[in-house]
Order: sequence, then C-alpha cells, then structure tokens
Amino acid sequence: MIDLLDVHVAFGEQDALNGLSLHVSDGALLGIIGPGGCGKSTLCRVISGLVQPDFGEVFVHQTNLRQCSRQQLHVVQRDIGVQFQNDALFEHLTVLENVSYPLTRLTTLSCSEMEGRSVEALATVGLAGFENRLPNRLSGGQRRRVALARACITKPRILVCDEPTAGLDPQTSRTILDMIAGIRYQTKNTVIVVSSDVVGLFSISSRIALVWNGQIIEEDTTTKVRQSERAEVKRFLDDARLPFAGWTWD
Amino acid sequence: MQALAQFGSIIIQLSTQIGGTAMLLAQIFRRLAPPRFDGAEFRKCLFTMGYKSLSIMIATAFVVGVILVIQSFVFVERYGMRSQLGWGAGFVIIRELGPVLLALMFSGRVGAFTAAELGTMTVTEQVDGLRCLAIDPISYLVVPRFVAMIISLTSLTLIGNTVALFSASIMGDLMLEVDHHTFWSSLFSMLTPADFMLSVTKSALFGGIIAVNSCFFGLSTTGGAPGVGVSVNKTVVFSAIAVFVVDFYSTFVLG
Repeated sequence: MIDLLDVHVAFGEQDALNGLSLHVSDGALLGIIGPGGCGKSTLCRVISGLVQPDFGEVFVHQTNLRQCSRQQLHVVQRDIGVQFQNDALFEHLTVLENVSYPLTRLTTLSCSEMEGRSVEALATVGLAGFENRLPNRLSGGQRRRVALARACITKPRILVCDEPTAGLDPQTSRTILDMIAGIRYQTKNTVIVVSSDVVGLFSISSRIALVWNGQIIEEDTTTKVRQSERAEVKRFLDDARLPFAGWTWD
Repeated sequence: MQALAQFGSIIIQLSTQIGGTAMLLAQIFRRLAPPRFDGAEFRKCLFTMGYKSLSIMIATAFVVGVILVIQSFVFVERYGMRSQLGWGAGFVIIRELGPVLLALMFSGRVGAFTAAELGTMTVTEQVDGLRCLAIDPISYLVVPRFVAMIISLTSLTLIGNTVALFSASIMGDLMLEVDHHTFWSSLFSMLTPADFMLSVTKSALFGGIIAVNSCFFGLSTTGGAPGVGVSVNKTVVFSAIAVFVVDFYSTFVLG
C-alpha cells in the first residue's frame, strides 16, 4: 500500500509537486497521466525513494520514507522495481548480466539459479536468444523490454514504470503495455505506470490518476475518469484521444 | 546592479561547488572507517586508472627529464656546474615537476574520463538505478575511484620520477658529458628522504583532489549529453586550479 499526503517537491524555484496526495491499494494497476512537466516522473521518484519531499509524508508499506533511516529505506527499495525513462541499462554489461544484476546484489542465489531466472525473465518479455548482446546492439523497444525484465527480476511487490513507451512506435508501445499488464496479472502486485500513451494506459489500468500542475486532480476507475465533468480532465482526454478505427473508451 | 548580481551568482556557484566537494569528501571518509566499498570495482579502477595510464605517464616523464637538461645546458656550461646536474635535476623533478606535471596529465586523462563516465551514468539514470537496488553510489562508485586514484597517481609519480631522472641522466651524458656515476652520486648525496616523502605526499593529495572533483562534477551532471561535456570541462579546470593551490600550500608547509 502506498500513501502520499500533501507532498511538496521543488527543484530550485520550480514546483514539481504541489501538495499532491495519493492512495494506491495493494494489487492495483494505476496509470498516471498528465501533460508534460506536470510532475509525473517526480511522483515516480518520490514513490521509489529517490527524491525526498520538501514537505508532506510518503508511506510505502507503512514505512514513512521521510523519517526512516537509510537502512530502512534500502529495505523498502528492495521491494520496489523501477523501470526508468532512459532504460538505465549498464552499457558495459550484456543483456543477461543487466537483468541478473539486481539478483547478484540483492540475493544469495547461486549463479545457475540467477542465470535460470534471468533467462526466464527475458523469455517473458520476448527476448529469448538476446542474452549475450550488449545494450547498444538493441532497438529502443528491446532496451525497454530488458529494463522491464530487470525491474521485475527480484519479484518486487511494487513495480514503477516511468514512461515505458516514450519514443516507441504505437505497436511496440502497445506490446510493452500489454507485457506490463501481463506481469501485473501473473504476480498480483502493485503496478504504477506513467505514460503519455493515454489510450494504451486506459486499456490496461484498473485506475487512472491525472496529474496537473503538481497535484492529482482526478483519481478513479478508468470509466469514472472518462466521465469526469472537470474541465481540465475533459480537455486533457480530448487532446489525448487517438482516433483509430475500432477504439472505444469502454 | 547587474554586475553585482553576476558577482553574487558566481560566489553562490563557487560556494556550492566547494561545499559540495567538501560534503562528498566527508561522505567518502565516513565510508572508509571502516572501509566499505566494492572490491571488484576497485580492482577495475586500479587497472583502468593506473596500469592503462602507465605508457602516457612514462612518455611524459621521459620528455620532462630530457627538456630539463636541454634547458639547463646553457647555465651548466657557463658556470661549470656539471657535478651539480644530478642534484638540480633531482630537486626539480622529485619535489615539483614530477608530481605537478603528472597530476595535470592524470587529471586530463583519468579525471576527465571519470567525470564523463559518472556524468553519463547520472544523466541516463544508471545511478538512480543503483540507488533503487539499495546500492549506495558513494560506496560503489566514488570510494573505489577515490582510493584507486590516490594509489595510482602516487605509484605513477614514483615511476615517472624514476623515468625522468633516467632520461635526464642519459641526456646529461650525451649533451654535457656528465657521466652517470657523477649524476647519481650528486643526486643521492644532496637530496634527503624528506624530498622523496614530499613528492609522495603531494601526489597522494593531488590524486585525492582529482578524484573528489571528478566524482563530484560527474554525479552532479544535469542537462543530458551537453551537461556531461560541461562536467568534464569543470573537472579539468577545477582540478588544475586545486592542484596548484595545494602545491603551493604543501610546499609552504612541508618545505
């Protein structure tokens, strides 16, 4: 369970989060949408314990991230898998080494067990046979899938995906979102996805939160968000709607 | 008024950088007592920073020794100071030129590389990736580099000094007909262990300075690829300034 209460984060004179409150239940697949620069990525970083709020409280599994010790923060972080916007792959390591890296640092599994789990994770994201490639020999979509496999390899109770589809073509983007939905379905863990692919996010999420100027102005089920009467929500959804055949909001 | 604002901005920037490096240094020392850092990363750093810099350092040191004798040729000839050539070359190389020139070379090669490496890791969120895996970036990335740079630069300076003295001895024999025995006996009879200790102390200090600067600027990189270039530039400039400032004080205090 994740609770954010009146969280404020500023970078210099720029407010990134401005009194944001959010509750995420265990097992939810929360899609976070909003215009560029509204604070979506900062929200991900706050939940992951990478950014300390200036004011407000952040609880992850009952641990207050603002007041806990570094050791307690590390314990919480071990339970959070993060897929970063820029993949954050280690360029000098092969795909297999990248995926197994969290296991080498956080577990006491044997080498063969680690390799087995990593190969299995790569197969889950459709990258079987890519184990010995270096990240610079992969396409953008393949890199995202490696990053997703790495984020899930330790079976974290919370998976945070920051723009997993940014810069990808619609087909690849949809494949990645489907994979995230598949992981959530298999593990029943909490998944938080930030994406500009609003249509795709509506199709996989159980709930949607709209961030606007550092605050959440709407957070509900996909159907209720779509029916919202707030002017900002309506405008954002109208702007984001992709007109292709066969698409329905429901 | 605008000039005053600009001056204030420069002072704030400078204070941020000096404060930031001091904070990083404090964090490094906290992790060194007792030592908590990644052994594999340390060995990799020693190899890339020390062993791989060996050839360029030897080449630089060799040329320094040769140039020193060429520059002193006129005066040695004029005043007939052939028997003092070994002492003169040794004094300049061991106490001053060796540590300072090799530190500047080291800063250009290893410091710049480290700033670029850590800067790239920062802007591509790899450092955040480590933090998410509950890996402390200071213990994993900074401390191994700090220790490796101190050990590497000290060792390279010792080797470089030796090479520079050998090249000066060879050049003295060729140009001034100062035989090797005269050269080395004047060097060992007039230089004291304190001179050698000063050289070692200086190079260890310079190694630490370059490490802290490059790690600080690397980890505080913002603004994508152009930001990495800015960090590399700042590392080289600030390291060079810091090397000269520390050289002045260490020479002043330690003699």
